Amino acid sequence: MPEYLVKESGLKEFFQSLANGRHLLTPQGTGDKCKLEEAGPDKVNLDYSNTHMSPKSAFFPQSENLMAFHNKSDKPNPFVYQDLGDKAQPTVIFGIRPCDARGLSISNRVFQNDRFTDPYWKGKYEQTIKIGLACASPSPQCFCAAMGGSPYGELGLDVLAFKVEGGLGLKPVTAQGEELIKQTNAAQEDLAQEIKKQEAKAIEAQGVGTDLKPIDDKDLMELFQDPHWTATAENCLNCGVCTFFCPTCHCFDIQDEQSEQGGIRMRNWDTCMSWLFTVHGTGHNPRPSKTERVRQRFMHKLKYIPLKQDGIRGCTGCGRCVVMCPVNIDIREVALKMCQPPAQSQA
Amino acid sequence: MPALSDINSKIRESARKLLADGRAEVVIGYRQGTVPMTTSPMFARKPAECDQLIWSNFARINLANYLPGRPGKVALVAKGCDARSAVGQVTENQILKDNLYIIGVPCTGMIDTNLVLAKETRPIKELVETTDEAITVKGEGFSTEINKADVLRRNCQTCANRTPKLADELIGPETPGANPDDFADIKALLNKTPDERMAYFKDLIKDCLRCYACRNACPLCYCPICFVDETRPQWLGKSTDPMDTLTFHILRGLHCSGRCTSCGACETACPVNIKVREFNRVTELTVQNNWHYEAGQSWDQKPPLTMFQTDDQADFIK
Repeated sequence: MPEYLVKESGLKEFFQSLANGRHLLTPQGTGDKCKLEEAGPDKVNLDYSNTHMSPKSAFFPQSENLMAFHNKSDKPNPFVYQDLGDKAQPTVIFGIRPCDARGLSISNRVFQNDRFTDPYWKGKYEQTIKIGLACASPSPQCFCAAMGGSPYGELGLDVLAFKVEGGLGLKPVTAQGEELIKQTNAAQEDLAQEIKKQEAKAIEAQGVGTDLKPIDDKDLMELFQDPHWTATAENCLNCGVCTFFCPTCHCFDIQDEQSEQGGIRMRNWDTCMSWLFTVHGTGHNPRPSKTERVRQRFMHKLKYIPLKQDGIRGCTGCGRCVVMCPVNIDIREVALKMCQPPAQSQA
Repeated sequence: MPALSDINSKIRESARKLLADGRAEVVIGYRQGTVPMTTSPMFARKPAECDQLIWSNFARINLANYLPGRPGKVALVAKGCDARSAVGQVTENQILKDNLYIIGVPCTGMIDTNLVLAKETRPIKELVETTDEAITVKGEGFSTEINKADVLRRNCQTCANRTPKLADELIGPETPGANPDDFADIKALLNKTPDERMAYFKDLIKDCLRCYACRNACPLCYCPICFVDETRPQWLGKSTDPMDTLTFHILRGLHCSGRCTSCGACETACPVNIKVREFNRVTELTVQNNWHYEAGQSWDQKPPLTMFQTDDQADFIK
């Protein structure tokens, strides 16, 4: 597909046409206040490292009502749970970073696959056109390239946008994305070499990442039984920050809540860092201490998801957990320990 | 203006000696974080590992959090507030005094990263800190020096206990405390109507994700199972419903009454910048007014909520 260009003077019109008949979410605010929000086509922030939280909540909100019942006997279907359906509407998100788009594509395979489809995720995911914004300048916590991605990665996106001198370059990734771009004022322009040049520069700025192939090669049980986990977990507070900020963490807890009028069945983000996550009705807990819980998170990201998703790692290198973790547990350091032969991984 | 490198050497020297003498099996201190403006807790068990111990203007997490229930002899690198927390844990029977050695570091306050980011809005790629009075942050095409006094955490701005007086040793000379918290805003808040107070606290926690980082970073929150995690019965809903969320914060605040040392670990840990300490400040003010008690100021004082005295106010029982 050919590339397109929007001149700086035409950006407002471009965003207006994206918002035409759709909700348009764009990055608003800077630093840790940066959020993907609906704020109008003339207020788009193109200068941000990344959004404070990952975009997953646009498809998988922290709390989502799934079903409801009422207790009025004179109305139809009292005391029977009714599906609340999905209220998804046509949406365009502009400014998803490639690491987060990759994260969405990983979660998408959890919520939609050949075994089952989650209707609540599917409705929102399929009605949303995802436009990424490439990262020309990585932050100290960024390591997407080491995880198999790229600051100019396309996985999970419909269009990849990138800043060029005097405007915004656009590279359609899907037919749906190209269709949308054709409805705007963007004009065709050959920018293939420009993207390659920018991408090489951005990857170089990230520095050489760790080669994680030893994790792929190591046997699952060998990684699981490595003696380093106790020391690796020693710092951990077992809060849920890493999981809530992670673009690929997708675990949830289903709860029924009742009031005098009836009740709702909802799902809420859950976290494998919590004792409660695995405790059984008997009181037995297969992950009794933080060592097992920390091991679970890193094994899930770096071993279980790659095994299930054709080698794609469950960490996309967005670096949120590295910065947000109150005790700075760095998945890059943990990955290094997982790479080492058992004798050296104890420290 | 002590150089951080001097403090580092003294901490390392002390740690090595404690390990070598068998006075401690582990020294809990800080090591350099992997990204600018972070530190990470460090558990040194071998003398060689002590070389990684550092002091920093970002040594914010309260390491006393790792003490409750810990067997064996342990040495703790502690600021004034952290040492008070450790003393509090001894008075609450969470750790034996004989097993604890406090390496006290007279503190000059710790930095609130959010205040740094407000002063320097360009992406920060590197931090340089050589003294405990100022830092330099660097990025593409800039290098900005920031005085620590301008970016201190809220709790550090009003800390009267910067020197850990009950420590087993002090690394460097005592540091003067700041003017203590006058609770003026809390007193004004308490004079408002219940509805106004409810509105204030609901607004305060509106961004809460219920990740429980505040609770888990808190050296007072050592319950084996927190009431929010209990299932038989389940006391609280799990969503971000404002009343469920507020109930968590209020109950946590009450559980911490008379025990908080204003270490600010909760606010440092909070990923969405909630002023978690507001709940604790209400209860601290109440405890100070009624029992003239401050946590962690002596080895043998008993926390007010674990005590009964015949002259306690009891006019609520008729």
